[in-house]
Amino acid sequence: MTELRLIAGTAVAEPLEAEPMPALRLPPGRHGIPADLVRAHQRQRLLEAAAAALAEQGYGRLTAARVTELAGVSSRTFYQHFEDLWACLLAAYETEAALLCAEIESGCGTAGDERDSRAQGGIAVALDFLACRPSVARLLSAEPPPQIAALAGARRDLVERLGTMLRAALTDPEGATPLPGLERRLVGAALALVSSRAASGDPQRLRDLEPELSELLLVSL
Amino acid sequence: MASEASAALNQAVSLREKGDPEGDVREGAMEGVLIACGELGFRETSVRAILEHSGGHRAQFYQHFESKEDCFAQAYAAWIERLCVSLLEAAATAPRWEAGVREAIVRLFRFVNARPAIARALFVEVQIAGEPALARHDAVIERLAAAIDSARSEIDPADAPPEATGVFVVGGIESCAAEALSAGDPDRIWDALPELMHFAAGSYFGKEEAEGAFERASILLERERARPTGAEE
Repeated sequence: MTELRLIAGTAVAEPLEAEPMPALRLPPGRHGIPADLVRAHQRQRLLEAAAAALAEQGYGRLTAARVTELAGVSSRTFYQHFEDLWACLLAAYETEAALLCAEIESGCGTAGDERDSRAQGGIAVALDFLACRPSVARLLSAEPPPQIAALAGARRDLVERLGTMLRAALTDPEGATPLPGLERRLVGAALALVSSRAASGDPQRLRDLEPELSELLLVSL
Repeated sequence: MASEASAALNQAVSLREKGDPEGDVREGAMEGVLIACGELGFRETSVRAILEHSGGHRAQFYQHFESKEDCFAQAYAAWIERLCVSLLEAAATAPRWEAGVREAIVRLFRFVNARPAIARALFVEVQIAGEPALARHDAVIERLAAAIDSARSEIDPADAPPEATGVFVVGGIESCAAEALSAGDPDRIWDALPELMHFAAGSYFGKEEAEGAFERASILLERERARPTGAEE
């Protein structure tokens, strides 16, 4: 996977090998970069900073001030992009959830036609994606505050989508129909396992989970 | 459910009344912080909201706790320990692994129904409260995972499931409880009993055992639903 980073006005595609730090702040004053590109760059920095601030502060202490500080933008700029802290975090969540699902689909698609290898391919790329980006792993795997309805809804949507993908990848067309709803339990369990490994602070522990997680999911559906 | 197990559950919910007759501020505030966080959410809970549940004054509160976070962490540690012991006792009363897991899940669901606000604090708000409550949470998950891993004594070592199975199964059960509590519908949690037993048994023993566990849990669920509210076995 590659990620578009904007450095001093130049779009650069970099291989994603380590967690990207919030992108560099653009130079102040006249720099000749089109305004829409500047806005897109600011938004990207805010989304990355939201995940980083959450990993640092947790939901209990998370503030918009810390997000703007990490993004290197002013409070005014923050509120030009987002209504409040939760709107920013929701945008980060939805962006990263979509990226994760796209990665899994790609991983399943390139791993061959066998049911098991397709599933293992999807699980491996998912774990690698999260291992490369520990703050995103925290964002996507931890249960958000239920009082923030949109964020809780985004979490439910992700569980639903991962469950649908899991069922599609693991259902044996010639076998018995899996128990309805079981995939939600499996996704919940997998996210809990990812959350616990992500909290260890060692990304390799997430990657190492692949054979065990694949076996646990394959044996159940 | 065996009578001693029922007593353990009652002990786990025995702080329902505000404070105690001798004005135990610390215990009352610990119950109050969990109820307030369960009802309002951790971020929205103030010391004032805690005191509205527990009684007492701010000065008394700060004699026992440094902050809301400290109070939550101490309350979480005390209540999750109580619940954990209660679940382990429920499992220990059963002759076999599957029945033990089922008894423990039933005990958990009864707790969720009896004390939904406290359950919401223990299973949902702990994720918001941060360290050190989260560290205690992870330790409890490991402890329950080690207990549920006793399934291995019934499995041929050649067919042993992955090392992470215990944490996987306990995490799945916990996420089910969190899902029902987050949705504000704790009664709905019972619907998941057969599915959870399928999931737990399947993770250790495979699909055939999972289907049997599903059937047996469905029968128990029918009996549980037919039981008059508040009745003890």
